[in-house]
Amino acid sequence: MKILGLVIVALVGSVLIYATVDFPPFADPESPASLHVSPRYIEKSLDETAVPNVVTAVLADYRSFDTMFETTVIFAAGVACFLLLRIPRRRPPGPRHFRHRLTGLTFRVKDGENGKEIFLPLREFEPVDSVWTPHDFIIEKVCRYMIPFIQLFGLYVIAHGHHSPGGGFQGGVILGAAIILLSVSHNLRTALKRMREKTGALCSALGVFIFAGTGALCLALGYNYLDYRALAALLPGGPIMARSHGMLLVEIGVGVAVMGTMVWIFKNLASLGRYDEGL
Amino acid sequence: MVITLIVVVLLLVGLLFFTGGTVGLLRFPDFYSRLHPAGKLDGIGVLLVILGLSLYQLFPLTVASAVTGLKLMLIVVFVFLASPTATHAITDAGLRAGMEPWKKGDPWR
Repeated sequence: MKILGLVIVALVGSVLIYATVDFPPFADPESPASLHVSPRYIEKSLDETAVPNVVTAVLADYRSFDTMFETTVIFAAGVACFLLLRIPRRRPPGPRHFRHRLTGLTFRVKDGENGKEIFLPLREFEPVDSVWTPHDFIIEKVCRYMIPFIQLFGLYVIAHGHHSPGGGFQGGVILGAAIILLSVSHNLRTALKRMREKTGALCSALGVFIFAGTGALCLALGYNYLDYRALAALLPGGPIMARSHGMLLVEIGVGVAVMGTMVWIFKNLASLGRYDEGL
Repeated sequence: MVITLIVVVLLLVGLLFFTGGTVGLLRFPDFYSRLHPAGKLDGIGVLLVILGLSLYQLFPLTVASAVTGLKLMLIVVFVFLASPTATHAITDAGLRAGMEPWKKGDPWR
């Protein structure tokens, strides 16, 4: 079976390499892409879509199918990590640790009779990780004050992708990194309080849904799939502005999907799939 | 003209600090002392370079250019918050992991 797989991989690989011979030379000005497609995007995209950033216009409008399936790939990556890593068991066997909130004393609590879990009152004790290091005050405080600004910047990058470098992927990564920073600077439990496992997974799916839903909305309004001119019926500004607004909708979807997937994958990796303790 | 001269001086001095930071990063004997140029000199280098850049685009003075200058200075604020914290976190992690600081006479690591 392994040898068969290797043979198939080698065959497909050699066919692909053989096909690259027919490509036009690298950076050839006479190649069809440079002769027809690129000049058209550069000359017409501002008139057609009202978006100054050509990269965003190409990515989210002219080639939006490509971007939609890229978002689907990100979602699939999140699901794959979840299926590979997640352990449904609630907690690992063995004693747990609790810290008294006022004095900072840490207690090691074994299971009661018949393996029943003993929980200390959560008003006075907080559960801590078994390899627990005391939180560093400076890191904790500075991260706490920085995270809102990081998130604000992430939103700015998503919303401003039409005019400056940026867009859904980059903004989503910044938003996800803010949650990961919270997890690294405090602990996994704090980050989970802010964004549950289910929220991450739902965000991941919701982003793809927003993207695909925008396309389906265009279809329902009588245009082609992902032809944002259809949105002129719902949004002010005419068909050209509707393309710009449609791109914004799509970018929001991408951002939500990327943020959810990043946080989801990180939590699976950091807690070894158990979601009880970790970084 | 005078502004351009000030900008050039600021940029050059900033780059000098960056160079010092890089040399220190390469030449200092151990982990903890290498963090010293990485944190401090990059901080002052960022301050001078971005001060120069925001001064450069401030003229002619309009609302837009003033806001852009403010945005640039915000980068400095966040670098000044984040860079010492990152250095502190790395030092903290090194100490917790049991890494001994370098002393005079020890071999270089």
